[in-house]
Amino acid sequence: MIRRNLRPHLMATSLVAGVLMSTAAMAQDWPSQPLHVFVGFPAGSSPDTIARLVADPLADALGQPVVVENKPGAGGVIGVQQMLAKGADGYNFGININGPMTTAPRLIKDLGYDPATDIAPIGLIATSPLVLAVSSEFEAATADEFIAAARDEPEAISYGSVGAGSGAHLTAELFSDAADVQLFHIPFQSYAEVTTSILGGEIDSGFMAPSAALPHVQAGTMKMLGITSLEPFAQVPDVPVLAGHAGLPDDFRAELWNALFAPAGTDPAIITRLHTELDTILNTPEVQEKMLAMGWQVQPGTPSDLADRITQDTAMWGGVIDAIDQGN
Amino acid sequence: MQRDYYDLIWGGILALLGLGVAAYAVAHYDFGSLRRMGPGFFPVLLGIGLAGLGTIIAVPAFGRTTEARAFAWPETIGVIGSLLLFGLLLNRLGLMGSTAITVLVASSVAPRKGILWRLVLTVVVTALVWVLFVLGLDMSIPVWPQGY
Amino acid sequence: MTTLEGLAQGLNVALDPSVLIYSLFGALLGTLVGVLPGIGAMAAITLLLPITYYISSQAALVMLAAVYYGAQYGGAVASILLRLPGTPQSAVTTLDGYPMAQQGRAGVALFTAMISSFAGSMLGIVILVMLAGWLSDLATSFGAAEYTAMMVMGLVAASTVGTGRPAKALAMVVLGVILGCVGTDVNSGVQRFTFGQVQLLDGINLVALAMGLFGLAEVIGNIRKAERHGPPAKVSLRQLIPTRDDVRHLFAPITRGTLLGSFFGALPGTGSTISSFLSYALERKVSRNPERFGHGAIEGIAGPESANNSASITAFVPTLTLGIPGDPIMALMLGALVIHGIQPGPMMLQDHPNMFWGLVVSFGIGNLFLLILNLPLIGIWVSMLRIPFRWLYPAIIVFVCLGVYSVRGATFDIVMVAGIGAIGYALAVAAFSPALLLLGFVLGPLIETNMRRALLISRGDAMIFIERPIACGFVIATVLLLAVPLVKRIRTR
Repeated sequence: MIRRNLRPHLMATSLVAGVLMSTAAMAQDWPSQPLHVFVGFPAGSSPDTIARLVADPLADALGQPVVVENKPGAGGVIGVQQMLAKGADGYNFGININGPMTTAPRLIKDLGYDPATDIAPIGLIATSPLVLAVSSEFEAATADEFIAAARDEPEAISYGSVGAGSGAHLTAELFSDAADVQLFHIPFQSYAEVTTSILGGEIDSGFMAPSAALPHVQAGTMKMLGITSLEPFAQVPDVPVLAGHAGLPDDFRAELWNALFAPAGTDPAIITRLHTELDTILNTPEVQEKMLAMGWQVQPGTPSDLADRITQDTAMWGGVIDAIDQGN
Repeated sequence: MQRDYYDLIWGGILALLGLGVAAYAVAHYDFGSLRRMGPGFFPVLLGIGLAGLGTIIAVPAFGRTTEARAFAWPETIGVIGSLLLFGLLLNRLGLMGSTAITVLVASSVAPRKGILWRLVLTVVVTALVWVLFVLGLDMSIPVWPQGY
Repeated sequence: MTTLEGLAQGLNVALDPSVLIYSLFGALLGTLVGVLPGIGAMAAITLLLPITYYISSQAALVMLAAVYYGAQYGGAVASILLRLPGTPQSAVTTLDGYPMAQQGRAGVALFTAMISSFAGSMLGIVILVMLAGWLSDLATSFGAAEYTAMMVMGLVAASTVGTGRPAKALAMVVLGVILGCVGTDVNSGVQRFTFGQVQLLDGINLVALAMGLFGLAEVIGNIRKAERHGPPAKVSLRQLIPTRDDVRHLFAPITRGTLLGSFFGALPGTGSTISSFLSYALERKVSRNPERFGHGAIEGIAGPESANNSASITAFVPTLTLGIPGDPIMALMLGALVIHGIQPGPMMLQDHPNMFWGLVVSFGIGNLFLLILNLPLIGIWVSMLRIPFRWLYPAIIVFVCLGVYSVRGATFDIVMVAGIGAIGYALAVAAFSPALLLLGFVLGPLIETNMRRALLISRGDAMIFIERPIACGFVIATVLLLAVPLVKRIRTR
């Protein structure tokens, strides 16, 4: 159950922690017990696998076990809440996707936390762009043709997403807005359902993870018209970037990401230490390869990079959600 | 033999629940159209349907008699209470503490006197739970009472 | 490559000693975990997940598949002996399995469940090998309209599962569908009936619903009753073995169940639930004495058990060729493949024939292990019933709590199961069918999302359900299912 007065409670604990323990002493003994990493998705999901890929080498580096705690639900939000409920004692952390940090305050009533004040960013782990995929029988062969066709007849071209408010939905709306077209939204529950529906000819297109479209592209039944990152993506290097093409702005970018963070009030020395270790782990080729196989590009960065990313994405997706709300 | 109170009461509850669901959905969720069914479309129709079915169940039960079926009040309270205790105490007392309390409370409604067998059972079940879930499955769960 | 060559290659992979050992280990662990009420394959797989990163992809997948089937075998034990189903499929097994156990025929019920599961799996494998290509096309030819029509038909056909008055049966289905509405609406993102509880955003926990309605309701009602009757008399080994008459009753239900299961299994998402319920309804329909159902009819176990096991075999076709997992456990297995750099998809059979055929063969071997492992255990499980109920039920309560908690680690769900248990008992006393509530709960949301999706795709034209031939077929079948009994009743008057 959710504690409604979560925030005051957290601030109180962090204050007490700050007063009672001198930073240096704590950082020296740390870590003296196992670390817990709260993941908002079930075991075997991609955020969970990413967490486990990081947790193993992290445990080796710190000399303490790093326990991955799966607290799935509400698009990752439950994981953040559970981490916050445990408090900022230097042993509770979270690995989660962008949603709970950026769009959740807009989409979920009674969220119980504010990413801006309750979360201490540690570092970005990996990002994944989305590709615009269509059936191989679809007439448009490039993003330009796709946009031209969409402009000819508003709402004639449909696209599938993985649910209202999902990254795929918001990305498609961001794209429609930037390209000044109107696409017809049809929500699904998973990328696999979207691809099956495209293959079955029910819907025309969809923004999806490259790894969801790739097998069907290799089988010759689907094609990818563009990708939402600023640079070509290593898993699908041939797919052209959408930014700057087809009349889209040069900075057109929509990425999903995974990041490591702590409850606000966690000792800054611990955050610095974890960030350094994370940086080392993400720079090992083995970890990079495994992440890429799942469709994720490692993206090491400082805590303040992550904080900036959260602010930027919150503003960007907030604008998209505003536009959708006004449209209805 | 008694009047069919169960069908009467449940029919009434279901009818009221159906009306409540429909009314709540009308008030809070967009009904939409056939092309774009809103989130309220199904709940409203289902609520009305349940209200109708509840009425069909309740009305004939007025005149009908049925064999009396006892409702096990003490057992219901004991079992449900022990479950609630487990859920509410787990994060504070840990697996061991809440298991022991749950077993004691649950067994209190068993129709057999004596305190010794209850204590033995508590120890046995708690130990079994430790072996299966902590030792065997390594379940991610607080095991012992938490410090704060 | 021909099918025969494929099978030979698969045999080669599956008989590799290390793969065999992982298969055996998975089957063993799956059974043990599955016996614990509510703790399904998920808990065991979570435990094994770190291992799968370090062993070969074949061994990893074979082990996870063995856990999956093992948990199904184990789940039948808790359902039959204690009426504690963790899934809708095992809820169907309790309908006749638990009454049999109450009558002192627990051994026969368990034997039936296991032999039917085994036969269903084996026949399912044969069908998969012969029809793999056709089965993988089946999934893409099913769109939103087809799913809607099919599931409405399933709901109507299976509504006869419960006993008692039709209004009470229908009310449970509708109540189930309403409970299924709780949570975030996929189509609009609106949070329905969550009342500010973030824990309800993903809906009511299915395990909590199944265990509360079946298990807890039974525990409450049984505490005093069991004390009066005492434990069932000791049974000799001979009584565990079904009579010749019992066995004769098994062939046809297993065949029918397997055919149903193999077909619906290839349709991702609903296969195993819908085929269990349909198989039960079908058995009752064709039976010469349908009144035995719900009171210990052996066909009521054989049909559904073979159906859900064959469904979980053919479910691997869409999982591997389209990357569509049928349930969270399949999703986990997909994850294990991806970690090893194998992307499931239409090229799977071509690019990784070893994997595909190895898996198929190991399904067979795994199920054989399970049968050999489980038959001797029947005696032990049955003897558990000789423990006085007052010793048993407090442990059951703790196990239910842990089973529910294991799903996603939320104490909220334990509080939920307490409430559901109280309501479940009150419904049971008034002779409402919990199975139908569960069916409505599972199928309702699928019908809603698919119907809304179909109408979005057709831009609001309801003719989509008639114009598409497969959907139209299901619509006609549904109309017949409703009309035929009505016409019959009018004639007899």
